[in-house]
Amino acid sequence: MDDYKYLFKVVLIGEAGVGKTCLVRRFTQGLFPPGQGATIGVDFMIKSVEVNGEKIKLQIWDTAGQERFRSITQSYYHSANALILVYDVCSQLSFDNIPHWIQEIEKYANTKVFSYLVGNKIDQINRREIPSHIGEQFAKRYEMKFIETSAKEAENVDALFYDIATELTKQAHQQALETDKGVNFKAHNTSTISSCSTCLRF
Amino acid sequence: MPGCCGCWEVLRPPRYKRLVDSIFPANPQDGLVKNNMDKLTFYAMTTSEKLDRIGMYLEQRLSRDISRHRIGFVFVAMDALDQLLVACHAHSLNLFVESFLKMVQKLLECEEAELQILATQSFIKFANIEEDTPSYHRRYDFFVSKFSVMSHNADRNENVRTKIRGAGLLGLQGVVRKTVSDDLQVNIWDPVHMDKIVPSLLFNMHTPEFMSVNTESPRDEEHPAYIAEMVFRDLVCRASYGNVKSVLQPVLCHIDNHRLWVPNEFAVKCFKIIMYSVQIQRKQQYGYLVIQMLMSHLDTHTNSDPSIKASIIEVLYESVLISAGGSIGPSVLDVFNTLLRHLKTSVDNKSPEGEKRNMEKKFEEAIINTIGEFANNLPDYQKIEIMMFIMGKFPQFSHSEEMGFMDNYLQTMLLKTLLKVATKYKTVIMNNAFPPEFLHPLLRISLLDDPGLRVVVQEILHTLLDRHDNASKLKTVSIPKDVVSELDLTVDKVPRQDSLFMKKNGIQFYWHILENLQMESNKADNFEAIFCTMCLITIEMGGDDILVELIRLALDIQSMTIESTLPKTHKCCNHAIVAAYLNVLAQITNMSPLVQYLSDLFELRRKEACHLLPEFAFNRSNRDSSVKDEDYPKEDKVEEKWLFDQTALQDILTECGHDASRLSAPLAQRPHSSMGIMIHDSGMVNSMSDIGSINIELDSIESSPLLARKKVEEITVESLKKMLAEDQSVKREEDAKKRQEIFETFQNAPFEEIVARAEAKSNCFHDKLYEILEMSPPSSPDHTTKESQNAVPVFEMQFPSLYVY
Repeated sequence: MDDYKYLFKVVLIGEAGVGKTCLVRRFTQGLFPPGQGATIGVDFMIKSVEVNGEKIKLQIWDTAGQERFRSITQSYYHSANALILVYDVCSQLSFDNIPHWIQEIEKYANTKVFSYLVGNKIDQINRREIPSHIGEQFAKRYEMKFIETSAKEAENVDALFYDIATELTKQAHQQALETDKGVNFKAHNTSTISSCSTCLRF
Repeated sequence: MPGCCGCWEVLRPPRYKRLVDSIFPANPQDGLVKNNMDKLTFYAMTTSEKLDRIGMYLEQRLSRDISRHRIGFVFVAMDALDQLLVACHAHSLNLFVESFLKMVQKLLECEEAELQILATQSFIKFANIEEDTPSYHRRYDFFVSKFSVMSHNADRNENVRTKIRGAGLLGLQGVVRKTVSDDLQVNIWDPVHMDKIVPSLLFNMHTPEFMSVNTESPRDEEHPAYIAEMVFRDLVCRASYGNVKSVLQPVLCHIDNHRLWVPNEFAVKCFKIIMYSVQIQRKQQYGYLVIQMLMSHLDTHTNSDPSIKASIIEVLYESVLISAGGSIGPSVLDVFNTLLRHLKTSVDNKSPEGEKRNMEKKFEEAIINTIGEFANNLPDYQKIEIMMFIMGKFPQFSHSEEMGFMDNYLQTMLLKTLLKVATKYKTVIMNNAFPPEFLHPLLRISLLDDPGLRVVVQEILHTLLDRHDNASKLKTVSIPKDVVSELDLTVDKVPRQDSLFMKKNGIQFYWHILENLQMESNKADNFEAIFCTMCLITIEMGGDDILVELIRLALDIQSMTIESTLPKTHKCCNHAIVAAYLNVLAQITNMSPLVQYLSDLFELRRKEACHLLPEFAFNRSNRDSSVKDEDYPKEDKVEEKWLFDQTALQDILTECGHDASRLSAPLAQRPHSSMGIMIHDSGMVNSMSDIGSINIELDSIESSPLLARKKVEEITVESLKKMLAEDQSVKREEDAKKRQEIFETFQNAPFEEIVARAEAKSNCFHDKLYEILEMSPPSSPDHTTKESQNAVPVFEMQFPSLYVY
């Protein structure tokens, strides 16, 4: 009866205008919305993927980067299974603010949250300000995974979300082994929904 | 069902499935098959154990329809679910609800706006059902999150956007409703939820165009701003005592984040809603929590822009207005302390920029108004306490390092605050309005150096003294023919308690008035204010008992003026005040011989010495130096006949049936009486800090004679000032040691010994006193003769009965 095995909550955070919404759109709808306006508050998308034959449902919460929505967006970190911290490789400023975001994560998110550092907009080769290795070093220092993407060219976007799904599934399996049954991840409203999901494209 | 049923069940799907299938029409546009739905409902109600399975089966069908995008059937299925839910409320809903909620979630996860709205509508219907079976493992996290997202919807199509936002907001209300009364449910007041719900509501409420729109028109009820406001009210209403804070914290945070303090219309609106909603159920008890939160929020903004602080204070002010009696809560002094602290911080960190300074001034103004409004909500006795508390912040009274150096400006601010509080006080009996702990310090600050500040102190006295709204009519010094009708004064009979009060405390007033009139820095405003105070005392408390004293005060002022070295203008003012004051006094007390005597004298002055009348002395154009020299008499000489004659007045008083014997002794200029006041005052300095504690009494008794002996040779304004300015800490240490000694003696020594010692001491004191009295220069001939007989009441007044021993 289950139409998916695990449900994971993924939250995207980062400065305004780094391309969080575009990443999500690219992944869930396969399109790159030109002239995407600033997100208001939080946006929500759902997407099912398959990892090793198991159906995984990803709830993706796409938060606004604008400062004024900070208080509502922070409240979404709390229950996240994975956080995607996005910066713009063409904007030194968005990269400089990352330590600040990491503090936010430490403050509001679960301690063991799986976090990913993502440098977006790599299609803009001429305007790049942050070299790849700098981002990578940074991610290593904070024990985050690192990837560079382009929502516009659909580069690494699927890879990013699949990697998250795979990693979280692995964690869930381990947990299931430890606690005998996968209670923790399946606890809430995730069981028994029949037939397949609408958004399934893969 | 008859027995043959058994064989059917093998071949056919179970009955509940058939019933469910039958409700779906061939064409989804036709909607629910009504007859069959009735059958299903009936079946579900009679065999409630099958309800779960019906739910599960419907759920299956529905998710299949969703995935195949058969939207029509989705609507049909939801309709059926809703109907079943409503029909089969009460027991055994539990598992069915699980299926139902899964369906709602499923629909909410869809991208189609109409499905999301449909889901929300169903959820709201569900939220209105009261379940009586506990449900242990239901979670609403997703719903809160998703509804909040919907409330922030940014669809390009305005119509869609409005609908989704409205649905999201109502969904949030549904969750709150569903969870708030059920202890088993998630705690909806948890910050995790409130941080989503409250900003969603406020975000929608803050629609600039909506603030101005007329909310009456029916179309607006669909507007998200309207819905959000309604939900917000509902939410605050439901918040219990412990939960008010969890709602307020996100509100404050939201206003901070969205920079909505300046301009603060929205913030004011929010807090008005909060204040009104908080009160609906709980009879105003929680209002102070809101106030407290605002205050502590102000603390976090201590270093923020003054305009933000001013806005917060304004919001606070508005909230206090609404909250009325419930605004203060248990920690009265804390509220005032916080506000005064902010006042001080603002004054201390004055900004040099003009623009910013203006904002700061606005902020300070706002604080004062707010303090006044707070005080307004207190019972009267507490207002006096608050005024004493504010006075404690003056450097003269403050022992704490915290206040430290204080500039004139801050003193002005504090006095304004004091005045504000005083205006809220309604005097009934003077004794209550002026407890000694309050009166003495108040009179003491009436002698501040700054003339502007002194005016304010007089104004404080006015508002406290004035019970019949006469103060405004006595603002100018004049000599009308008929005081009562021309100035439209209201005069009442003087209550007995007030006469008693004056008998006891009159001397304080007189002495300070006299001192005040001797100040060289006085301006016309000061004179006028003092005049007003004198008249008010006469009107409010000028009973027969103290009439003589009041006239004596006039004579004292007169003689002080003649002897003093004040500038000419000041002297004229003093004479004019005496004239105007006696005029008021005579007419109010209806002593026609006195009125006659006065009008004769005024006539004389008008002819020969018009500079001694208010028309001249208080003509402000005289203050120009050019005019002054010509108009004022060259000589300082004041002829005897222009003055009010003591013997004449005495005769008149006797004629009117008063005991005029006391008139011959000056009131306040007697050295021992002013000394008495000093003693009293020095005692007050200490007792300001902790009023009413017993060791203070001991202390003042013990230390005062010593002090008196020390100071006796040089009682002038200067010496008094010096005393005020004296370093307190050294004295305090001494005092503490002395207090300790006294304590020990009184605790340990046998009674007889204490009596003996006290007797000896008091004898010694009396001897010393007589010595002093003999030493004092005979300023007027009849002065010394009356001395000893007058001295007795003063002693009684100053030294409590403990001195018998």
